[in-house]
Amino acid sequence: MRDLLVVENLQQVFGGRTRTYAVDGVSFRIPEEPAIVSLVGESGSGKSTIARIILGLLQPTAGRVLYEGTDIFTRDRKWNRKFRGEVQAVFQDPYSVYNPVYKAERVLKLVIRKFGLAKSKAEAQALMEEALRAVDLRPEEVLGRHPHQLSGGQRQRLMLARVYLMRPRLIIADEPVSMIDAGMRASFLNILLDFQERHGISTLFITHDLSTAMYLGGQIIVLYQGRIMERGQTRGVMKDPQHPYAQLLISSIPTPDPRKRWEEDLSAGPLAEVGPGISSGRDRCLFAERCPAVMDRCWGARPLLQAANSNAMSEADRDVACYLYQ
Amino acid sequence: MPALLEIRGLSAGLQGRRSITQVVSSVDLDVQRGEILGVVGESGCGKSTLATAIMRLLVPPQVLQSGSMTLRLKDGNTYELLELPETDLRQLRWRHLSYIPQGSMNSLNPVLRIERQMTDTLIQHGLSREEALKRSIAALEMVNLEPRLLDSYPHELSGGMRQRVIIAAAVSMRPALIVADELTTALDVVTQRQLLQELAGIRDELGATILIITHDMGVVAQIADRVAVMYAGKIAELGTVNDIFESPLHPYSQGLIGAIPRAGGHRVEGLPGEAPSPWNYPAGCRFHTRCPHVIDRCRAQTPALLPQGDGRWAACHLYEPEVLSNA
Ligand SMILES: Nc1ncnc2c1ncn2[C@@H]1O[C@H](COP(=O)(O)OP(=O)(O)OP(=O)(O)O)[C@@H](O)[C@H]1O
Ligand SMILES: Nc1ncnc2c1ncn2[C@@H]1O[C@H](COP(=O)(O)OP(=O)(O)OP(=O)(O)O)[C@@H](O)[C@H]1O
Ligand code: SF4
Ligand code: SF4
Ligand SMILES: [Mg+2]
Ligand SMILES: [Mg+2]
Repeated sequence: MRDLLVVENLQQVFGGRTRTYAVDGVSFRIPEEPAIVSLVGESGSGKSTIARIILGLLQPTAGRVLYEGTDIFTRDRKWNRKFRGEVQAVFQDPYSVYNPVYKAERVLKLVIRKFGLAKSKAEAQALMEEALRAVDLRPEEVLGRHPHQLSGGQRQRLMLARVYLMRPRLIIADEPVSMIDAGMRASFLNILLDFQERHGISTLFITHDLSTAMYLGGQIIVLYQGRIMERGQTRGVMKDPQHPYAQLLISSIPTPDPRKRWEEDLSAGPLAEVGPGISSGRDRCLFAERCPAVMDRCWGARPLLQAANSNAMSEADRDVACYLYQ
Repeated sequence: MPALLEIRGLSAGLQGRRSITQVVSSVDLDVQRGEILGVVGESGCGKSTLATAIMRLLVPPQVLQSGSMTLRLKDGNTYELLELPETDLRQLRWRHLSYIPQGSMNSLNPVLRIERQMTDTLIQHGLSREEALKRSIAALEMVNLEPRLLDSYPHELSGGMRQRVIIAAAVSMRPALIVADELTTALDVVTQRQLLQELAGIRDELGATILIITHDMGVVAQIADRVAVMYAGKIAELGTVNDIFESPLHPYSQGLIGAIPRAGGHRVEGLPGEAPSPWNYPAGCRFHTRCPHVIDRCRAQTPALLPQGDGRWAACHLYEPEVLSNA
């Protein structure tokens, strides 16, 4: 079976005197059938860089991105156009996408015109209203307004209405909900789930908020310093993380339940000491200096991402980059 | 024991050309000595305005409209914060009240070493260089930073470390009250957890009182003792963290708790509609435009924040004695 998107050994090194390995040998795939894949990791772990490469905005230092089997950097103009229609981005702050001079609905009108989606004005109007309703917006609260008259949550959903009109196959959403509130967040995520279930649209969902990833389900990829530490089904990883970093990450989620507070106090331990520039070489496990289970071999070579070999875990679909499982 | 800070009828707004638009309306709140009190609510509900009003650091067009705030320190001194002249206030703020504004992690001066940034204010307030340095190092230790960090420039530090420096500077005078606005919002969960646990440690060590302002219900559930839920510039409900999360009374608190995405795959519904901005706060109960339990009087009458027993307060007509007895 062919995959919709294949990311193969991606590497992005930013130059200068100190080289930054923003992305360091990342591979994963998004299947043909509609799926949601969450990419999680702390700030600076390379999430946005991966998104920019997949969108074709940044040429990687090494590695490939295949969309329906074709390398996206082949730059065939006709193919590129199709790709740009089928893979759509939704970013953190959509405000920059809007021109404050025009009415907010212009972002919809432009798409309708560009892709010739409507034959008449009335048809265009009906289509806009349909798209707005598909993202839980009432047409009368958006149409005729300027972007600054909309709330952040409304602007963010208007971007989804635009995406809805284009019917892409894949949405790349980089921290789309970090600026909007809990109340609004649920409805935004529900729209992505609807897109997947009803319209066959897949999403690569980038976030540092694990509770939203958990809500979306699907697959999860845990990044740390540009490398994948663990990959698997979101529910399984959340319930039973294998990699020590994934374990630390998941146990640190502030559960919205005062009776389930963090057990261990990290504030006194060695973990709090971690800062930049601790050790130079990258030919090792990058989590070694923070890992409670660190062994000698962890310093000697990079652990590869492999199917987890652990009898503590029943499910098959799980990859871990840690010597504890190899 | 009397509250550390007693806030009564505090209102603040935005000065327009002709009139003042009220943002925060008659807030009554007792901040208890030694507690961690979480203030939560949707973006724009007035949390930061309340925090700055408490510190008396509003800047035009923000204006203080009315109310009173009484600060009772352990040493027996009592201050009426809204009546103090600016000079006394500055002294008090520096010595006993500490404010960590939203986004302060990015407010460090990029061309000064951490040492200068931490000690300068202390020296300005009359401490010797040695004393200032000693206090700074002690404060850095409270947030698990090594003294050698004093030689660094801000850009050499990670976001979490910069935020720790800000906290250290804020606690170096061992304040009685720390007001922290969205302290960990930009940080990843591991760093967030460390910082919050450090903050709780500081509370225990200094016996300080902490007002933590956030829109993250998870943060509040993890570290607050009590929670004040704000909606459209007013306090909707106040109670212990367990009460608020397990049996919220106010329909808005119920919606807020219900909208938290949880494990288990059940879809949750967001609150319908959007929170009003100060320019169009509805009359009566400000939540009536979104409330599933709205009754006639909600549109006309503003519900008062009333005690509901066991230290819980709610501002909702449904919990007023005469409505309860009709039900
Ligand atoms: N154009 C660039 N030039 C140099 N370094 C860069 C550039 N873009 C990103 N980086 C660096 O690459 C690393 C990864 O950055 P990236 O933005 O992908 O992280 P992220 O996971 O999206 O973080 P965040 O959660 O903060 O958005 C960081 O160290 C960043 O400073
Ligand atoms: N200086 C100002 N100028 C104009 N409007 C302001 C100013 N300060 C606050 N406001 C408005 O007052 C309302 C309350 O703002 P405030 O910053 O107190 O909210 P908040 O609850 O802290 O929000 P957030 O969670 O986004 O930080 C908002 O509608 C905001 O736009
Ligand atoms: S490889 Fe070693 S250091 Fe890295 S996570 Fe596994 S046990 Fe820890
Ligand atoms: S006072 Fe009325 S509108 Fe307001 S929260 Fe209570 S029931 Fe709802
Ligand atoms: Mg990013
Ligand atoms: Mg704020």
